[in-house]
Amino acid sequence: MVVILGGAVPGTWMLRRAWSLKAGKAPWRWAGLTLLSFSILWPAWLLGEARGPFIAVTLLSVAAFGVIASGYTLRPAKASRAAREGLAPEPAERAPSVWRTTLRWSLAGPIGMVAAVALGVSYAVWAPGEPQTRLLIGGLIVPVAWGGAMAWTLADSRILRATAVLVGTAIAGFGAAMLRGFA
Amino acid sequence: MTKMKKRAGFPSPDLVRAVLKGHSGLGLAFAAILYLVCLTGAIAVFANEFQRWENPGAERMETISANAVQAAYRTAMDRADGPVEHVLIVMPSEDRPWPTLRVDAEDGTRTTWIADSAGRITGEIREGWTKFLTRLHINLHLPQSWGIFIVGLAGVALLSSLISGLLAHPRIFRDAFHLRLGGSRRLQGADLHNRIGVWALPFHLTASLTGALLGLSTVIIGAIGFAVFNGDTDKVYAIFVAPHPAEDARPAPPLDLRSLFSKVAERTSAQTSKRIDYLIVEHPMEQGAAALFEVEDGSSRLASADSYAFDRTGKLYYEHKAADNNVGQQILGSLGLLHFGWFGGGAIRIAYGLLGIGLAYLAAGGVNIWLARRRDKGQPAPGLERVWAATVWGQPLALTCAALAALFTSSVALLIWTWAAVSIALLGATALLPPAMLSRVGRAGTGLLLITVAAAHLVVMGTGDSVTLIVDGALGMIGLGLLATFGSQISVFRRTLKAA
Repeated sequence: MVVILGGAVPGTWMLRRAWSLKAGKAPWRWAGLTLLSFSILWPAWLLGEARGPFIAVTLLSVAAFGVIASGYTLRPAKASRAAREGLAPEPAERAPSVWRTTLRWSLAGPIGMVAAVALGVSYAVWAPGEPQTRLLIGGLIVPVAWGGAMAWTLADSRILRATAVLVGTAIAGFGAAMLRGFA
Repeated sequence: MTKMKKRAGFPSPDLVRAVLKGHSGLGLAFAAILYLVCLTGAIAVFANEFQRWENPGAERMETISANAVQAAYRTAMDRADGPVEHVLIVMPSEDRPWPTLRVDAEDGTRTTWIADSAGRITGEIREGWTKFLTRLHINLHLPQSWGIFIVGLAGVALLSSLISGLLAHPRIFRDAFHLRLGGSRRLQGADLHNRIGVWALPFHLTASLTGALLGLSTVIIGAIGFAVFNGDTDKVYAIFVAPHPAEDARPAPPLDLRSLFSKVAERTSAQTSKRIDYLIVEHPMEQGAAALFEVEDGSSRLASADSYAFDRTGKLYYEHKAADNNVGQQILGSLGLLHFGWFGGGAIRIAYGLLGIGLAYLAAGGVNIWLARRRDKGQPAPGLERVWAATVWGQPLALTCAALAALFTSSVALLIWTWAAVSIALLGATALLPPAMLSRVGRAGTGLLLITVAAAHLVVMGTGDSVTLIVDGALGMIGLGLLATFGSQISVFRRTLKAA
């Protein structure tokens, strides 16, 4: 683990150096990326093909924070008003509408869930492979698809399009699953 | 000369603004629950250490003999009031170096005992704090299925926030290493929020995806059962778990485990670093009794447990080797380990604890940024500022009060009441105190109480296990750290008053 950190800290530092330079970034950037990639890959051989990279990326995140924290800048209190640069843009304004808000949250919540479950179930039913693998990957699809649907429906102003896609996905997904059955 | 219209890159400013709208809406809707789940999750990473902290007097051992397990198992069964349904025997391990025996009676009662290396029951396990903490993380102490679903839903919301957060972050590379502290609190908050969000993304994705899948598993299995098994969810479970032995409810003497231990040893004799993790005895007082052994095969695989199931006659009726796991079985065996950070020893647990606190900060800091933005726009929300300060600093205080109470009681219900009372009291204090004062009260209170918990633990429970000293030391240090930040706030406050 010390060796992983020994690769992650200088790797992140090199990326930081590339980021802070006005010119001549490329060598630092490539050296940093190479070192970080190597720090993630070699543990797969020594610590296990799944365990190793997971250990590496966990330590890499901590190492990155260490590098970022070491390069913090302290701003004077009077800078508070002038600090607009670096802030995110203002979120979009929408005209208030009860039914659109209700539909939007219904799409992000229950309807998105049903559509995501339908996707996961139809994957589990139709995909090739061992039953356990199909069910687990189908299961993993559910939170990813639901999370994606949430992000989309809460952002998209064309709410009827989102409704049609999610309802269509739910019907098609469950229909396809029922049609075939689990084998 | 025709003017070429420059195409906006991806993501376009309009898309960023639209996604930000959804990101902040979702964050606000789930902020409190996400904060609580992430904070308790970061602490629950150390569940094994806390179990040792609660039981410092338990005899520590590396292994225990089959004879000793048999003796402990018979004694534990004798102490049950009625017929026994199952006995779960967890063998000593590096993380928790003593055996426990959980006896599930037919009337639904569950009792967990600790045994010594001779197989003598030394007492009931103390696990009030660990249970309180882990159940708060897993199901918020709500009815099991609802609580787990709500936490799973929070996991999905977190996953969705990560997706929208990335899309709404057009300066992801330009600001990759910025950490500007002081000055504008909104900029400082945004820098911390974005740096933690981006650089710990693998951890955030792992924790939220595994958590969401674990939380939604009942729904997913129910949907599969409904869609393709005519509503029979048992058929879905049967794909993953070892088969049950043939039902035979005729009474019989308790199942003898010693011969089964020998059979497991024979089967695993070629494996040099094998270790029995746990065994489950089903219906030990019936003719249809059976025992399932889970044996760590000593490999570096994440899912590394071999399974052996024997019936009463000692016949092996189920065997599964971790080496033969397909992808699905590997994922299933890895979910819990990856979610709680139990796959790389103490260093990874500490890293998970720190990253978990970072995740809790994402939830807390996101709301702070939204509140600061409102204030900047001349639309402050003082009521919400107070409630949020009380929530953010009330939870560490309430959890610490529960930990203190756990030194004097094993009752999880009392700990829930303690936690709830302190949480409500802090929320009630929003009627009287401004956000800064609520933050100070929470910070100083948590700091003082953590030091008190560490000191009281040493006095009340003793120092029988070196891990308890480490836990007490860590609690004391965190307490001192919180008091130090409180002290620095006071000195800044005084300087500001003087300058005025």
